[in-house]
Formats: sequence, C-alpha cells, structure tokens
Amino acid sequence: MTQAGNKMRYLDRCFRAALILVILIGSTLYSPATDPAVQVQLDIKKAEPRAVESLTERGILRDYRFAWTSMAQALEFNTLDPLEGPFAGEARQSLRDTVVSQQRSGLSQRYAGQQHRLEAVFYAPEGDVMELHDTAEYQLQFVEGNKVLSEEHIVQHFVVLMTPGADRWVIRQLQAVPQF
Amino acid sequence: MPRLGLASTVLCLLGVCAAQDIRVPNSAVAGEEASISTTGNGKATLYLFGPGIARKADVDLSEEIRLKSNDLHGAGEYFAVICSGECHSASFYVAAAKPLSLTFLLHPSRVPVTQSDAVSGVAIPFDQYRNLVLAPETVNFQMTSGSASLFSRPVRTKDGIAWFRTSSGKSAGAVQVLASLNDLSARRALQQVASDPCNLRITGQRTSSGIMVQTEPVHDCTGNPVPDGTIVTFTATAGNEKSTVDAPIKQDVARAQIVASGPAVISAASGVVMGNELRVGER
Repeated sequence: MTQAGNKMRYLDRCFRAALILVILIGSTLYSPATDPAVQVQLDIKKAEPRAVESLTERGILRDYRFAWTSMAQALEFNTLDPLEGPFAGEARQSLRDTVVSQQRSGLSQRYAGQQHRLEAVFYAPEGDVMELHDTAEYQLQFVEGNKVLSEEHIVQHFVVLMTPGADRWVIRQLQAVPQF
Repeated sequence: MPRLGLASTVLCLLGVCAAQDIRVPNSAVAGEEASISTTGNGKATLYLFGPGIARKADVDLSEEIRLKSNDLHGAGEYFAVICSGECHSASFYVAAAKPLSLTFLLHPSRVPVTQSDAVSGVAIPFDQYRNLVLAPETVNFQMTSGSASLFSRPVRTKDGIAWFRTSSGKSAGAVQVLASLNDLSARRALQQVASDPCNLRITGQRTSSGIMVQTEPVHDCTGNPVPDGTIVTFTATAGNEKSTVDAPIKQDVARAQIVASGPAVISAASGVVMGNELRVGER
C-alpha cells in the first residue's frame, strides 16, 4: 500500500462519516413530530365536567403540536398529505380547501416561531370530545411564488375541538375568534 | 390631508399607486357579502387569505372591493393584503351564521335502570358551512319513555357546547333522548335494562338423581325482569365438599341440577347479589 492510497482511504471514510452525520441531522430537523419551532403549553385546570387524565394531557400536547407542524408544512409547501393524520372533519376540509386555493393562485403561507398557550375548557363526561382555547403567537408570511407580500406578528385566539381517534387526538374544528 | 391626496394622485400618475389605509368589515357573517375599502387609488392586487380560501384579484382602489358570499364561508380570521407598489394588510373576523345543524353525542346506548349520573349528552350547534356557532343558544334536552317524560332541561351553550348529565329511569325499555334548538333537533335512542337482581330467592327438591334447584322469577329492585342469559351461580356444600353450577336465566328463572346424595346447603348468587340459603336433607 502506498502512502497516497492510505490517505485516499482515510479521506473516503471521513467523507462517508460526514455524509451519514448530515443525513441524521437533516432527518431530525425535518421530522415533523419533533419540530422544536412549535411550542405548546397546556393548562387543564379549568377542564370540566371531566378531569383530564395525565395520559390524555400528554397525548393532547403531542398531537396538537404535531397538528400545527403539519398545518404549517401543508400551507407552506401546498401539499395535502400532512393534513391527513392530525385533522378530521371540517378542520381538515377547510385546510384542504385553503391548500387547493393556494395551489391555484400560486400563493403560500409561512409560519415561524409558533407558541401556543392552550387551555382545556370542556372535556365531555365520556371523554369523547374536548374543547380547548389556544392563544397562539407566531410570525406569518404571506407569499406569492418566492416573494413575501406581507409579514405579520400574529397573536390569535382559536377555539379548538379535538376528539380521540384510533391512535391519537385529532382536530375537528379550528376556528379563530377575536377573543374568548 | 389634501396635500397627501394630491401627492398620491401624482405618484399614481407616475405609476406608483398606494393603498393608504385599508378599511375592513367590523362584523362579517359567514356566507354573507362584505366589502373592503381603501383611501388609495389606482390599480392594485388584492390577496385574501382565510379559512378555506386563498385568492388574488385585480382591484381598483378608488372603488369599494366587494367580497362575495363564496369568499367568506369559513368563520375565523381573514387577512386582506393589498399590493400596489408596496403591500399593506389588514385582518377581520367572520362569525358563524345561525345554527343549521346540531351534533348530539349521547352515552351510553344501553344503561341499567336507576343508575345515578349514568346518562350524559353533549350538543354542539353548527351553521350551514359547518362553523361552530359560538353565540349563546339554548338547547333543550328531553328524555322520554313512551309518553312519559323522564327528564327535561334547557341548557345555554357555553363556547358553543351544551351538555347534561342525569340518572337513568326506573323502567326497562327504549328511551328517546332529544336535543333541540329552535327548529333543529337531533334524536337518539337509549336502551334501559334491568339492574342487578334484587331479593334472589331459590327453592329446591330432591330428585332421583340429586337436587333440582331453581330461582323464583328474578327481578331488579324496581321490578324489572332481569334479562335472559344472566348467569346465576348455585353453590352446594355437602360436608367438606363444595360444588358450583352456573345456570342462565331463561324466562325469568334459572334452574340447575345438583348431584348430591347427602344433606347439602345450597346458595345462589348473581353478580354481586347473594340469595337465600336452602338446606336439603338426606335422600
């Protein structure tokens, strides 16, 4: 073996290791379920008539964060797939309509720095529906093609209806309101 | 102000028109027309983003911009971005229209009689575009068995939801539960079944092959016959030996044949309810 050959092999190994590292970091960053950009706090103290169980609390936190991550992806990249899991009923239909309208008009929306203060206000006696109030804060860009038309710092109130699905809580209604 | 107007006119003639100020609707309702106006003039592009919609249109800033009823089906916040050279934006809210449908969740579908707080229902009004109606409305909940009213209560919606909880009635059978709001109604059926047996009593007699035991007709504490198929467990103790037989209730009565030649003490139980003890002598 020549010295040049060893050096080449060493460089090749370094390149492969770096490539694997880049792929690993990339997959972590783009995994919607672990998007650090969406922060959700949940307060369950006011939920009635049924108290929210701790397992349910964790499920709501996880699934609500995932839903907003998915919604942001769908509205930024104008794709319907992210809406299929976390949304159901009217919420899903409304978001699908928005995405289709955006595709038609060449428009999109970009969400950044999402912070959600979520409060459970109603939890049905049999646990089959929960209403939550979300005070959401984020940067929102309205985009045409690659041109940012407007960028807003939004503080928005949402009334949210969530129901338990087969393996997660899904959003059935996501309706912005001026105040609670 | 006139100087501003003159400046904007001059700028506009040079091809740079601007929307100075955007006036959006104060109170819009889903499915109704609304309008946006600006203090600017000249041509511009309107971008409208809202629930279920994202569209652009060429507009004349000197004219009122009409938003069609189709544009405003979803309740929620809308953003109007008007661009002519530079972009300005404003937002407004659209409220749900009047209720046109009622979602009614009732639990359970089958309930034993006289159980406290065993029945609950949740009603949620929606408008014709399936927006949640958040304005307070009164939902009437009614529970009837045949022509008898078991429960009736008006409940005001809070954040778009009305709910109730009540005890089940005394008689087994089908119960209708109705949630109504103005002309809207949603009906659900609930089956009330007998509760646990009450005063479980057994009788028995010796036969050539052992002891034949049977219950008296099994009823719950309000007199409803316990359903066929409910298991009654007979236990016979003869000396140190103990044997059990499970028998289903058939036409109100459960029967069992117990093999025992000597004296025996026989008891019966169904669920958590114990019956009387029966002493049968030697053959």
